[in-house]
Amino acid sequence: MKLFLKTIAAAAVAATLMPGWTPSAAAQQTVIKFVSWQKDEHGVGDWWAAVIKEFEARNPGVRVEWTKVERGAYADTMTTLFAGGKPPEIVHLASFEFQKFADQGWLEDLSPYVRASGLNLDGWAGQSACQWKGKPVCIMMLYFGNIFAYNEEMLKKEGIEPPKNWAEYIAAARKLTKDTNGDGIPDQFGTGHETKGGGGQYLSELMNYTLDAGGRWTDSNGKVTINTPQMIEGLARWKDVVRNSLTPRDLSAGETRQMFADGRIAMKLDGPWLYPIIQRGKAKDQIKIVAPPFNPPLGGSSNILGMASEIPADSKKLVWDFIAIATSDKFQSDYATLASSTPPSPRARTDGAKTATPHFDLLVQTAQAASKAGVDRIPKGLEIQYNEFAKMIMEESQRMIIQDLDPKAVAATMQAKAEAIQKQ
Amino acid sequence: MAGGRFSLDLARPSRQHWLGYILLAPAVLLIAAIIVYPLIVSIDLSFQNVGIARLDQPRRPFTTGNYERLFASPDFWNACWVTLKLILVVTSACFLLGLGTALLVNNRFKGRSVARLLVAMPWAVPEVIAVVIFAWIFDSSFGLMNWIFLSLGLIDKTINWFSDPNAAFAVVATTMIWKGYPFVSIMSLAGLQSIPEDYYAAARVDGANALQRLRYITLPCLMPVIGVTTVLVMLWIFRDFSIIYVLTGGGPLKATQTLSIMTYEQAFSFFRMGYASAIGVVTLVICVIAAKLTMRRAPDNL
Repeated sequence: MKLFLKTIAAAAVAATLMPGWTPSAAAQQTVIKFVSWQKDEHGVGDWWAAVIKEFEARNPGVRVEWTKVERGAYADTMTTLFAGGKPPEIVHLASFEFQKFADQGWLEDLSPYVRASGLNLDGWAGQSACQWKGKPVCIMMLYFGNIFAYNEEMLKKEGIEPPKNWAEYIAAARKLTKDTNGDGIPDQFGTGHETKGGGGQYLSELMNYTLDAGGRWTDSNGKVTINTPQMIEGLARWKDVVRNSLTPRDLSAGETRQMFADGRIAMKLDGPWLYPIIQRGKAKDQIKIVAPPFNPPLGGSSNILGMASEIPADSKKLVWDFIAIATSDKFQSDYATLASSTPPSPRARTDGAKTATPHFDLLVQTAQAASKAGVDRIPKGLEIQYNEFAKMIMEESQRMIIQDLDPKAVAATMQAKAEAIQKQ
Repeated sequence: MAGGRFSLDLARPSRQHWLGYILLAPAVLLIAAIIVYPLIVSIDLSFQNVGIARLDQPRRPFTTGNYERLFASPDFWNACWVTLKLILVVTSACFLLGLGTALLVNNRFKGRSVARLLVAMPWAVPEVIAVVIFAWIFDSSFGLMNWIFLSLGLIDKTINWFSDPNAAFAVVATTMIWKGYPFVSIMSLAGLQSIPEDYYAAARVDGANALQRLRYITLPCLMPVIGVTTVLVMLWIFRDFSIIYVLTGGGPLKATQTLSIMTYEQAFSFFRMGYASAIGVVTLVICVIAAKLTMRRAPDNL
């Protein structure tokens, strides 16, 4: 036994003396940090995993440390990481929050990398939103258009055709909201929206109605345009839906999606991410997906990929390699298939996606319709103050619903408050 | 080196207290690093116009703007009012429930150990889990509470618990009471067990009834415990974040926005860390004053 141990020890000593050996070669590999809220998301999470695998295969000795942070805690965590001087090298942020980071100078100007690599961003959906102070500080990873999903069985039972406009939609929502088991509590809802949670999601839900009514938060110059007849009409529609409880109250977006997938909600306006949830729901065979009854559909930029500016040059090169893989034609095509979403690249091949996602053409159409109409969830001129603006809109809308206020007065209040926020 | 120039003879009576300081030093240094340093940074930030704070950034010019804006803000006074309301409601209810259950489980009866366990159980449940349970109970569409109220005929239509400012406040307060009363109960039980039985025996000989024994023996003897517990419960309400944030996020219409929620929102949603630090500093000052007043007055009253 002693001899055996001695042999092992001698072998270990010999190994350490070999040229090029370092105390823990494996542990000394380069690590690139990547934080994302999409890690465990079915579809898009798989796509990120494929990008990482390809990156690690192309860069031996480099490992991507991929960490999940919940969406609810994402802004806090990223702020803390950046403020503490330890940002993740690969920066993944929502398109409504990257502006604060860019404004601090924490995101690298990507133009030299784009130029050097020859990445063609012409026609790249939503890329214009990544310009900050005239420089591209990120690459848009998703620009989407909303789809309209409905429970065919529920609608047929009530003799309702899928709605084609607001009037048909609200009539259907009224008819479909009911107490099915007679306990005095409505348990089937015409539609479903998040009415509890953050301002950003609330704003998105509300915009389904304001856009169809022709309203916009700001014009193309960034001037606040809330106090308009179109916006007042949009707010009145939202009030109608929520105050009359045609949507379940006080639920998060995830909960309403699950309720729809399980057959407790009849109609749902949502992004491409609804489909994977439907596929796992109890009512998946009853659900049909068509174009939204509203025009233009809600759409917009979703999330971005960027590079932390305060990292060594070697790491920057690696991060760009990662971005280059994610934006390559191959991986953009895979994005369509794996994530069931519209890839921003105009060169992505979507043939495979059409097999996995039967309504893929519709996703492309709605994204294009939203893009053509210049729709985005982040109002121009309020990018930096987006969180505060969204919170204000949420509170004033809640006030309108709780205190039964006139949408005209509410629009005037919102206009004044939005202008004040913009001037800060 | 014994008897050398720098030797430290701790055996000398005049230097015996040095040992205490030496032993305490590591803990004091650790506390200074963890609490005092961030506190100083926070106070410093509150006097600067800072968006996102970084320690390596050059210091911005001194300003009292954050405090001026804070005291002129209706949101700040609303948050103070909400915090005060929560303190009054939650502390009172915690004491009624906590003291009541402590008196109950202090008696000898069959199953007392199980009863004590049940009383203390909410204290052991992590806050986030408690919040999830209460969020389900008070769900506006499918919650248990609406079903019970409707079944009992107390309401004729469902209450939107999280869309109505008063209802949302009630939900937050109820959750905090459920989570907070076991602490009062445990502390009171410990206090009750330290009251000598002789006092009660003597009172009984003098013909004191149960209420009189409670009024003249139990409560006065419990006062030191009640004083400390009040301060701790109050400070817990001041700093509690997760219950309110997960249940209501401070809404609707800021009906449940306490000072801690406001601090978080300003720092991490609106990225105004200088302003958020000012709220934090003012909250600290209020806490210190409230704790000082409570500690000084509570044992002498009642």
